[in-house]
Amino acid sequence: MSGRGDCMAGRNPNLIPSAKRDAAGSLGRRGQDRPYLAIPTPSGGRDKRSVSDTGLWRCLSAVSSYTPLAMSAPPSTVRRLFPASRNYIRDLWARREFAWYLAMGNLKARNATTTLGLMWWVLNPLLLGAVYWLVFGLLFDRGQVDNEFDFLPFLLSGIFAFFFTQQSMTAGVNSITSNAKLLANISFPRLALPLSALLESFVGFVTSIGVYFLIVGPVNGIWPGVQTLWLFPTILLHLIFNFGLATLVARIAVPFRDLNNLVPYFTRLWLYLSPILYPPSFLEGQPAWVHFTMGLNPLNPFLALYRHAMVGMPVDLGGALLGASAWAVAIAVVGGFWFVKYEGRMARYV
Amino acid sequence: MSAPAIVARNITVRFRPLVDRKPTLRRSLGRLQHREVEELVALDDVSVEIKKGEAFGIVGRNGAGKSTILRVMAKTLRPDEGTINVYGKTSTLLQLGVGFNAQLSGRRNIYLGGLAVGLSKKEIDGRFDDIVTYADLWDAIDRPVRTYSSGMFSRLAFSVGMAIEPSIMLLDEVLAVGDEAFREKSMQTMRELLARAGTIVFVSHSLPSVAEFCDRAIWLDKGKIVAIGEAESVVEQYRSRVTHKTR
Ligand SMILES: Nc1ncnc2c1ncn2[C@@H]1O[C@H](COP(=O)(O)OP(=O)(O)OP(=O)(O)O)[C@@H](O)[C@H]1O
Ligand SMILES: [Mg+2]
Repeated sequence: MSGRGDCMAGRNPNLIPSAKRDAAGSLGRRGQDRPYLAIPTPSGGRDKRSVSDTGLWRCLSAVSSYTPLAMSAPPSTVRRLFPASRNYIRDLWARREFAWYLAMGNLKARNATTTLGLMWWVLNPLLLGAVYWLVFGLLFDRGQVDNEFDFLPFLLSGIFAFFFTQQSMTAGVNSITSNAKLLANISFPRLALPLSALLESFVGFVTSIGVYFLIVGPVNGIWPGVQTLWLFPTILLHLIFNFGLATLVARIAVPFRDLNNLVPYFTRLWLYLSPILYPPSFLEGQPAWVHFTMGLNPLNPFLALYRHAMVGMPVDLGGALLGASAWAVAIAVVGGFWFVKYEGRMARYV
Repeated sequence: MSAPAIVARNITVRFRPLVDRKPTLRRSLGRLQHREVEELVALDDVSVEIKKGEAFGIVGRNGAGKSTILRVMAKTLRPDEGTINVYGKTSTLLQLGVGFNAQLSGRRNIYLGGLAVGLSKKEIDGRFDDIVTYADLWDAIDRPVRTYSSGMFSRLAFSVGMAIEPSIMLLDEVLAVGDEAFREKSMQTMRELLARAGTIVFVSHSLPSVAEFCDRAIWLDKGKIVAIGEAESVVEQYRSRVTHKTR
């Protein structure tokens, strides 16, 4: 930023009145505050980036209100109308290490005082799986899924995937409100905070996939294979989807703190309404409206893709990929833009 | 005349905090529709121009708007009206230890804090030894920061803030902690910064240090500038008003 003139939008008077004085007489020394003149931009203050805001960027930036905080150089008319979201993404990219360290710092700090320390990374998904396996595998013995697939891999793949979404939401909903100090002191693209929350949950998710194969390999004979490669597009889409959810809840939680309390109930309901503890075929024989409503669940295509990759269950690949992509892009675009549009005002409410 | 470092023109900042009255059911429901707000003018048409190489003090009573104007200069708060131009790389020490995580080691926190203020990992790698030496914390660097004394904490935080080699420093009451030796050292660093045509904006309730350290100062009261000028005379006016009132 050095040597460049930074400017905030707003009124731009040519002549600045000298500082107002309440008690006019109380001023000792006048010579010191000369009348202010319009300050010409220093020669170094030109911004080279202010050229060619074209096409897509214009559309993107039209909804972005980021620029007033971080815009450089006196705004040209073009820039005033289309604040540059290219700068936003560049600034965000410059903050990638920060987002990563923040995420890892939070992960480490969480277990810093525990006896087992980093073991908890592995223990958490292990215990999570064990609890649900005890209740839904043993207590309500479901036998085999569709008389063909073992219940354990079916359950674990669903639970781990679901907890990725759940963790993204719980970390995301706090990502702005719990970092008030950062917001008050440092100007940076605020999207770095929900992204950091997303990274944090993603690291946990990747660990849990490792744990998954360590369990179902010996127990059910499911080892990673060619089929498992489907995990890559699936996880990518899931990441985008969770990014959208994290930004959405982070944005809403700033003026509406109540969301912090609501998210756990919402995710629990979502868990029960998703085909995770029971297979989709569980709904057979239900009326059409039930099928229709349950079909609206955005997690359905993701779960189907995960089961395909991790359990080997058949899936309508085209439909699932299309559905997952549609949900991912829709939520990410809505969440991301709504967040960025609001972020200039966030510092006032935290 | 030297070039401007910070030019603030007609800055007005209004807060609309929710008024916290005794909650009743009707009020809570009403709040859903139109939140009860009472406007609070934290800065009222404030204009200042701070030059390169200048140490600029801000004095005033609690709630006068000193921190608010620093936040405007740090660009974390967009003013409702007015423009702000900042020429240079800013280090904002409005609070100490921004981005720190008290559970983690001092080593880790140098990275967290450094990345938070905008350094890259590589830059921190290169400056790490200097930061620790400056803070004089080699024997405590691998201990969790929560075990630090408040002086040790602020020494570490100040060193990280200086590590970005700023040309503009915004200091909000951050030198109040730290022992005499460290205070002397940080004052020395700040004088070096000024000598390199750096700029320091210095908010403090310690009037002697404002009078001694700053070239010019403003006295803010209820968001308005009461006096602006040479630091000693502004401090003198402020002091006489305050003592006059309490008597
Ligand atoms: N986020 C906020 N929401 C609502 N009001 C705020 C907020 N931040 C500051 N204010 C109000 O703005 C006014 C100025 O506050 P500010 O923090 O700038 O005072 P200050 O001069 O720094 O005081 P101190 O000497 O105590 O640090 C105060 O009346 C304060 O209540
Ligand atoms: Mg203050």
